[in-house]
Amino acid sequence: MDDPTAFVAGMRVIGAGLAMLGAIGAGVGVGIAASGGVQAMGRNPDAAPIIQTNMILGMAFAEAVAIYALAVALIIIFAA
Amino acid sequence: MNKAETKKRVPVKRWIVLALILLGVYAAYFGPSILKPVSPTVILPAEPIWPGSPITNTILATILADIVLFFLAFAAYRFYKSGKVAPGGILNAFEAIVEYLWNTVEGATGKWAKKIMPLVATIFLLIFVANMVKLIPGFESIGYLEKPHKSGVAYSPVELFTIGSLHLYAIDPATSEFYLVEGHEEDAGEAGHEEEHALCEACQVIPFLRGSATDLNFTIALAVIAVLMTQVYGVWALGPGYFSKFFQFRQLVSGGIFGLINFAVGFLELILEFAKILSFSFRLFGNIFAGALLLAIVGSLLPVVIPPGLYLFEIFFGIIQAYVFYLLATMFISMALVSHHGDEHAEEHH
Repeated sequence: MDDPTAFVAGMRVIGAGLAMLGAIGAGVGVGIAASGGVQAMGRNPDAAPIIQTNMILGMAFAEAVAIYALAVALIIIFAA
Repeated sequence: MNKAETKKRVPVKRWIVLALILLGVYAAYFGPSILKPVSPTVILPAEPIWPGSPITNTILATILADIVLFFLAFAAYRFYKSGKVAPGGILNAFEAIVEYLWNTVEGATGKWAKKIMPLVATIFLLIFVANMVKLIPGFESIGYLEKPHKSGVAYSPVELFTIGSLHLYAIDPATSEFYLVEGHEEDAGEAGHEEEHALCEACQVIPFLRGSATDLNFTIALAVIAVLMTQVYGVWALGPGYFSKFFQFRQLVSGGIFGLINFAVGFLELILEFAKILSFSFRLFGNIFAGALLLAIVGSLLPVVIPPGLYLFEIFFGIIQAYVFYLLATMFISMALVSHHGDEHAEEHH
């Protein structure tokens, strides 16, 4: 606490780490999407292309949250 | 036939690969300190390619990708004019990609596919080629030397040789020092150019080339184009009635309490359009920037075994991110093409 600059620098790194907590939900979401997609493709292999497209769409949306967290973390560390 | 082919194969390439691996091990662990990898410099905004120049290194990389695309397109045009049926080599891959894109677009948008394909396929090809081009060695490692603006690890340069008035330097990892607050170096330590002005003691390399998608300007520009064109296609398909999706005045007047809710939902849709720009741009930027960061950091920690695998990973993600951008743009456009109310009524009739 003697050196405010070092304190802020350390807190910034902690903040970036906390921001990445957002990746937990995205990871679960992408896993659920992949599991559902693979199950659907197993049951109906003929519909695989359509399922795959929609699965990737859903995964992209779920993953976006983690990417926002990552962008925030990167900005905290390198730009702020 | 098959036997003759196998006989002809002289195992040269595998020895070249082995020699390169051994060279890498030597450079990373046994060689002079100048060959050792340096820890990366991470700079979020794009740097100018020359001190004070308005052109940034990401623009230069985008122009490089444009040139590659231009030659590819020109070759495809030449081939089309020649009248042959089966393309070979890279044109074959190009044809397969375009055919796949066309099938997806046609499946999603039907008769509008011919108008939508040029936009989304251009976006796909530009992101794809830009992501591939940025993996060429020399990106993020060759540049000019500059005093770090922010505090961080800096290295002192060692002169390699001189061509005319151009001095070539490499930075020496053995001389790393902490410059002030937080700072960085880029990729495996390579040569940095330096002009005549005074040489810095502690330097970092400002690369001439950096992946286009590691710059938010590139991704936001693409996202704005995609979302704006979504509105354009919507108006094209539905006329001015397209905007009734956002401003549901008729519902407000006639719909009672649910009309009010629908009116508010319309505003939410408007906000959603702006959220699309954000999600498009940050997804691409985050993935590619994090990939570049990962390559640089892991490359400096474990220079030998892991980076080739990560390069494969980067190729995969370059393709996937281009595909996701293209697919989302196609889906949003195809959603904008159909009338909101028309759908509801169709469902009610069932």
